[in-house]
Amino acid sequence: PPSPAEPPAFDTASRYKDKPWEYLETEEYRATYGDNPVWFGYRRNHKGAVPPQRTRKACLRKGKPVGNPCPICRDRNLFLDFRNVKLLDQFICPHSGVVYHPTYTGVCMKQHKLLTKAVEQARDHGLLWLRVPYVEAPRGDDASARHPAVGVTPPAPQLLRGAPWYPWYEWRQPPTAAVARLRRVYKDYLKEDGAPA
Amino acid sequence: MTGLNLQKVFRPVKTELKPPKYKLMTEAQLEEATRKATEEAKEKLRMPPVLDEREPIDDILAEDKFLEGTETTKYVFTDLTYSIPHRERFIVVREPSGVLRKASWEERDRMIQIFFPKEGRRVIPPVIFKDEHLVTVFQQDRHEDILNMCIAQFEPDSPDYIRVHHRTYDDIEKHAKYDLLRSTRHFGGMVWYLVNRKKTDGLLIDMLHRDLLDDATSLITLYHMLYPECQSAKEAKEGKLQGVGLIKVFVKTESQKEGYIQLALQAYQEAMATSTAL
Repeated sequence: PPSPAEPPAFDTASRYKDKPWEYLETEEYRATYGDNPVWFGYRRNHKGAVPPQRTRKACLRKGKPVGNPCPICRDRNLFLDFRNVKLLDQFICPHSGVVYHPTYTGVCMKQHKLLTKAVEQARDHGLLWLRVPYVEAPRGDDASARHPAVGVTPPAPQLLRGAPWYPWYEWRQPPTAAVARLRRVYKDYLKEDGAPA
Repeated sequence: MTGLNLQKVFRPVKTELKPPKYKLMTEAQLEEATRKATEEAKEKLRMPPVLDEREPIDDILAEDKFLEGTETTKYVFTDLTYSIPHRERFIVVREPSGVLRKASWEERDRMIQIFFPKEGRRVIPPVIFKDEHLVTVFQQDRHEDILNMCIAQFEPDSPDYIRVHHRTYDDIEKHAKYDLLRSTRHFGGMVWYLVNRKKTDGLLIDMLHRDLLDDATSLITLYHMLYPECQSAKEAKEGKLQGVGLIKVFVKTESQKEGYIQLALQAYQEAMATSTAL
């Protein structure tokens, strides 16, 4: 008897895992979403008129998908990578440059964290627009550029002479009275290993 | 020569959404507001300093051999007095081998940023300043943004600052995108770089295409000030030439792309003739 085929779960690897930006050019994507962003038309299920201010924690609980998964988890070909800028751009406001709140787009909190990380990485690599604050350039050459803190300090004269920095850096003969006192105190524990130096 | 384009200096930046504010002003108030705006713009267009690369710090203060093997990590000691300038701050490093040395420039910058954070600067410089990512930025025509980020992140005499600036200027010169920097504070630095390396031809052609004769003459005067021994400088001083004559002398002696500049000059002169005729 043929073994019952399991329905494809969320963990089968997608074809676009290594190059997620290719999926956004395909016919499949165009047919599914058209010109709208990925999260357009997604409706969260919640009790009452006001939605909770945080979306669900994750769409995959112990490997099994929940009902009504968020816009990114429901399409297994969408990956939040810092290289597919087109997808990341859909979650950023075109006027203020701010990432939308998850209650607006409907993504789960785990995907939102990954999204913010990916957006920050993309901005670091120069792929996304970044707001550069105006920082005044420092004035040019002033005398503090040649301060001894950043230049060469001549060594102290006593070091040049060859003497140690503190006199106790070198080994000195200990005073005989102190040595004798200690030997008297510990005389029961001293080993018989010859005369002290 | 930088050109004061108020529209570009104060162009709207993507910030928080606010409804636009409308002010009703008389002519005098409008002039006053424009004058204030021009002053602010002049302040914003002040050129950042162009310095040589700093010498690496390499100074050992003490060598204590008996500390060898006691610790496994380096210790950095920073002087945190609030009122001394950062260049006079003493920052020393004790290596595990017992050597007490002054911290290198990169270590100094990192420590000062940790204890006295400056806005727009990160402790570890972002990845965007590496060469492979600079290429991506240049393809998006964001030279001004990357130069602003560079000023925020690095000191003017650090080798990274100088490298990023030179890469940007080289890319602009290669693709003749001089207009991107025209009304910004980086234009002066670019002109200085190009004149020092005698690559002024592209810039001259661009200026002639946009009918900026005064800028072209100031560029050539600057070139003569830097290289007073060159032939065109001597001829110009003897003949006391102005304007188009100066450019012609310069083109004959110093430039590599003579043909292009002659063409641009002719086009400019025809344009001037037609406009004055009209």
